[in-house]
Amino acid sequence: MKIKDPSPDMKKRSFLKNVLNGTVAGCLYLVYPMGADSFEIPEQIPGIRNKPYDIYDQEFAFVVDITRCIGCGSCCVADKREFNVPDGNYRTWVERYVKGFSDRIYVDCPNGGLDGYQSPRTDIKEKIRDTFFVPKLCNMCREAPCVQVCPVGATFTSPDGFVLVDDKRCVGCAYCIQACPYSARFINPETRVVEKCTWCYNRVRKGLLPACVQVCPTGARKFGSLKDENSEVYKILKGPGVLTVLKKEMGTWPALYYKGARREVV
Amino acid sequence: MGLSYKVRLILVCIGIFVMVVLGFFFKTLLIPDSFGVYGPFRADAIDEIVEIPIRHGTNDSCFKCHPYEAKIHKAGLHKTISCEFCHGTYADHVADGKKTGVLPVKTGEQITTLCLRCHNTEIKARSEKVIKTVAMPDHLRDQHVKLSHNCSQCHNVHAPLKYINRAKQITGLMEKGQ
Ligand code: HEC
Ligand code: HEC
Ligand code: HEC
Ligand code: HEC
Repeated sequence: MKIKDPSPDMKKRSFLKNVLNGTVAGCLYLVYPMGADSFEIPEQIPGIRNKPYDIYDQEFAFVVDITRCIGCGSCCVADKREFNVPDGNYRTWVERYVKGFSDRIYVDCPNGGLDGYQSPRTDIKEKIRDTFFVPKLCNMCREAPCVQVCPVGATFTSPDGFVLVDDKRCVGCAYCIQACPYSARFINPETRVVEKCTWCYNRVRKGLLPACVQVCPTGARKFGSLKDENSEVYKILKGPGVLTVLKKEMGTWPALYYKGARREVV
Repeated sequence: MGLSYKVRLILVCIGIFVMVVLGFFFKTLLIPDSFGVYGPFRADAIDEIVEIPIRHGTNDSCFKCHPYEAKIHKAGLHKTISCEFCHGTYADHVADGKKTGVLPVKTGEQITTLCLRCHNTEIKARSEKVIKTVAMPDHLRDQHVKLSHNCSQCHNVHAPLKYINRAKQITGLMEKGQ
């Protein structure tokens, strides 16, 4: 038979437990000041929240599956809204590749893909073999040329592998824009400092996926931790599928991988 | 010439001292505090970037206040699409758990443009395995309706096959629960 009334002992224990839980939760709240709102949003990258972030013990990767991209531009819209990117500049964009029977490649990217692709290309005279979309963003090079050329230490690789820009130190000399083989950088006309895709570092550290990954309707963009063996990107990288990186010969060792990219994609 | 050896020695010492002080002064002036903690950059910059407020919630962030749309959205084939892509960001709409801004709601022709961003066969780059596409105006002709119809007149924007499946159930073309 179960005894309903808990002994005084039990009460004390549960009281202590509550106090302890409260203290721990309170401490965590102090450690992670991220606004009341973001607590309501469920964690998307497991193992980031409720744990001190060990900046030396992290590795993230981004996988873009070209065979799933439909060129809707959701990612571009999300990116523009997330960071209020000024018109004419793009932290991420989606290019349309058209391959003719002559093996010529025609690439276009009206307004960075922000408006989606509403009509097919009509200016190509030859018969078309294939059309596909290639989303582009910062490659987060492990050997980043932009970091090497920065004269003031404003662009750096953080210990967790993100190439970031210190907007207070940047002097806007644009060396890094020249150095980036992927054209991922631009000078923000309002702040006059260099800006680029950060894989939404501010979201990742709060346990949320980058905005573009989160809005992708077909799962063409995937992001996750390589330290977590259950993450989708870990499984993709570990798996037998062919992954490529852009401009491999440049020796930048990107952490951005493409799945199903044709040889012509640069 | 006129200075004795001792005076010169003192002057040299003062000189060195002044240089050292100036050196330290300019070093602290020019090199920010947290420079060099992780490498040749300002470590505080990392924390500053982390502090940038997020603007997109997730679909989950909308469900709490919009249970009606949530139920439909989750049950339909559009469950993978972001509410915020079609409507606008969480930050423009809600702050501290209260509605603060009006999100635009697309109507008429705008809805068709929106749908065709993803569902246009003409683009010829969309794998059948990933998304079903329609050619306009053939799709409307097939349904024997006026070509001025908008997609939302037959498709629920939040669950595109909701009405259609129900109609099929009623007319017996489809088993219940399919
Ligand atoms: C495919 C784009 C799309 C997605 C995804 C989408 N909506 Fe909508 N939503 C619309 C459109 C278009 C309308 C206008 C309805 C109409 O005219 O039928 C609408 C209408 C609404 C309305 C009613 C507004 C009014 O005043 O009439 C609400 C509320 C709403 N959506 C919330 C949501 C929520 C919450 C989600 C995510 C669960 C969501 N929507 C996802 C396109 C979308
Ligand atoms: C704090 C509660 C709350 C949250 C969270 C919330 N909404 Fe709303 N939303 C409201 C209220 C209240 C209204 C106005 C009443 C109505 O029309 O139902 C509204 C109205 C809307 C409308 C109609 C246009 C307008 O602004 O009046 C849309 C579209 C909409 N919400 C979309 C969203 C989307 C997308 C999200 C997720 C990012 C979201 N809402 C999250 C409370 C919320
Ligand atoms: C952001 C891209 C996007 C937009 C915008 C969009 N859809 Fe979809 N739609 C999808 C995806 C992704 C699916 C799911 C395909 C799947 O899972 O098989 C889908 C599924 C559908 C289906 C079911 C097709 C099937 O598999 O049988 C219909 C019908 C549909 N959408 C109609 C619409 C209509 C009408 C609109 C405009 C209100 C619209 N869609 C807007 C991406 C989109
Ligand atoms: C007159 C009503 C009507 C209108 C308007 C309409 N549709 Fe449909 N649509 C249907 C019906 C009915 C089906 C289901 C056809 C079937 O299952 O054979 C369908 C199916 C679809 C499918 C799935 C096709 C497939 O291969 O399974 C897509 C995608 C779609 N519609 C998109 C759209 C878009 C985008 C628009 C607006 C430009 C639109 N529809 C306007 C009635 C309509």
